[in-house]
Amino acid sequence: MDLKTLCEAFGPSGAEHEVRALIKEAAIKLCDDVSIDRSGNVVARKKGTDARKPSVTFAAHMDEIGFIVTGHTEDGMLRFRPIGGVDPRVVVSKWVALGKDRTKGVIGAMAIHLQTPADRERVLDYDNLFIDIGAKDSKEAEKLCPLGTYAVFDTPYTEFGDGFVAARALDDRVGCLNLLEVLKSDYAGDLCCVFVTQEEVGLRGSQGAAFHIQPDIAIILEGTAGNDLGETPSRFQVVRPGEGVAISFMDHASIADRELFVKMQDVAREQGIPHQIKRAITGGNDAGSFQQTGKGARTCVLSVPCRYIHSGNNVAKLSDIQAQGELARAFLNSL
Amino acid sequence: MHTEDFLREITAIRGLSGDEGLVADFVKAQFEPLCDEVRVDSMFNVIARKKGPGPRVMFAAHMDEIGLMVVNIEEDGSLRMGQVGGVDPRILPGQRVTVFGKKKLMGVIGAKAPHLLSDEERKKNYLREDLYVDLGMDAEKVKSLVSIGDQIQLEHRYTALQNGRVSVKTADDRACVAILYDALKRLQHIHHEADLYFVATAQEEVGSRGALTSAYSVEPDYAVALDVCHADTPGAPSTRTHKQDSLVASMGPYIHPVLRQKLVDTAKDNNITLQTAVVPRYTSTDADDIGISRAGVPTALLELPLKYMHTTVEQLDLNTLKEGGRLLAQFAAAVSSSWEDELWT
Repeated sequence: MDLKTLCEAFGPSGAEHEVRALIKEAAIKLCDDVSIDRSGNVVARKKGTDARKPSVTFAAHMDEIGFIVTGHTEDGMLRFRPIGGVDPRVVVSKWVALGKDRTKGVIGAMAIHLQTPADRERVLDYDNLFIDIGAKDSKEAEKLCPLGTYAVFDTPYTEFGDGFVAARALDDRVGCLNLLEVLKSDYAGDLCCVFVTQEEVGLRGSQGAAFHIQPDIAIILEGTAGNDLGETPSRFQVVRPGEGVAISFMDHASIADRELFVKMQDVAREQGIPHQIKRAITGGNDAGSFQQTGKGARTCVLSVPCRYIHSGNNVAKLSDIQAQGELARAFLNSL
Repeated sequence: MHTEDFLREITAIRGLSGDEGLVADFVKAQFEPLCDEVRVDSMFNVIARKKGPGPRVMFAAHMDEIGLMVVNIEEDGSLRMGQVGGVDPRILPGQRVTVFGKKKLMGVIGAKAPHLLSDEERKKNYLREDLYVDLGMDAEKVKSLVSIGDQIQLEHRYTALQNGRVSVKTADDRACVAILYDALKRLQHIHHEADLYFVATAQEEVGSRGALTSAYSVEPDYAVALDVCHADTPGAPSTRTHKQDSLVASMGPYIHPVLRQKLVDTAKDNNITLQTAVVPRYTSTDADDIGISRAGVPTALLELPLKYMHTTVEQLDLNTLKEGGRLLAQFAAAVSSSWEDELWT
């Protein structure tokens, strides 16, 4: 499985079927016990031989931000809302693909020539943005893209610059890619890799996964917002693309298990894996679910820094993606 | 070449105002087999002549495009942008671009992250000055490859939508150059008396500069400028927009009334639907400058309605475009030396 295929698979939260099928197929080649649970998560288990070893779960979310059709106008435009947090300022003049047939659409806006000074300043919100598929009227629009049709930014996967990649959904297909790498490991204890649903709409899929897996340790592989260019003051440059996988001590959903947090750094240092500490308490991810569900698990988060994270063009450095996979595997081997 | 393929290819070519050489090469190569002579002048205007014994008629559509330029390279290697023509800054965040440095470089336009903005800042659009191009390289490498003044082109994607509608950047105004091409193809089989000049003009987006010089050198008896106008768009004042499915013939002081009527009559004779736009003063197209070239040139304006003008997803109706080609060819064939007597009646 390559990152391009993963990133180009369709899977906004609540409509993960395509990416789920793709991941399930890849996981089956690496592991005998692959199932889909009641929350739609793909669960790949490798039974251990040594009961003294802790049971370890690695998790990444397979859903992505996107859009959903909420209405049709008389002149054939689609009303829509974001799935997950998408700043409306990044959607103007972009391309989208809708539904199973990947119907092509564009999000335009009133031409600059027609804008008043107030228009130029005011952010177009989702009440004033429309997807245009070229339909002539509401009837045609409704037939092609009924209410509830999901959409994603239509962005190709492109490597550029010095080892960087721009793509849709790097958050969190990078984690999915590395989860498949972890699944190749020979670990003496119980190992589970779970690809969860609905992270972007409230860490939902991981709650079900955490409930039925109940691991001793849960490691979350994520993408996290990296803002290092332009006017960002250094205190807000909490992770820098190119400086390795980011290890979090705390975010808004969980506090890292101290021992794991220190161990991750030790392993990275010993193995020469590029790493950095996330220098802020921001965001939140599935670690919260694993830490607080059932009897609870010890958790730690490893993230790939992604610029422009909830836009159509996530940008990340390939070496950071590789470092995330390497550290996950090295950590497992060290237990 | 099919007119649609012409549109797909020409919209991909880099040709910011003032640097239309590559587009001019393409237009020249495509027009040459259909014309008697084609030349490119010092401003990159392409002037193609299809000879006839009658009045000299100039058809003009501009081929330059709006875009960006590198105006500063920051310490961190990110690029600041200036604009060539009117680029709406709202379209920029999250957009891919090509930077023409020592080599072609892909970039992504970045902005300060929403969670780092104050509540007040969040209510406003980003200004172009606040945005930057991220080339995915360290500053040292960027500085070795990119210079101030290098051009930045917005992303080209030709997207076929429903009902023959197409979204593509620089449909303004290369879709009208495609109309010229379509008309030229049709004129291979239609007799015309007029001496026809098909001109792809330069530098319209910065003030119809190419139209000024090409009209001077062609010295036409009559002219028709072709440009895009605004198609109905959500939020836009309906008084300033038109339906996407038919062409628009403007009227007003900058448009010669008799020549316009000839265009309208030709459309009627050929069952081509025309909408009317009333423009009380300047049209902001090449028509304005052609009209006052030399001693003055009776000039009409034919417009193709376009949604989302000056974005990367400008949208037109291919059928309307082809109707433009049909109308222009029929109009070219209808031009007669007898028109001279009717001009000021």
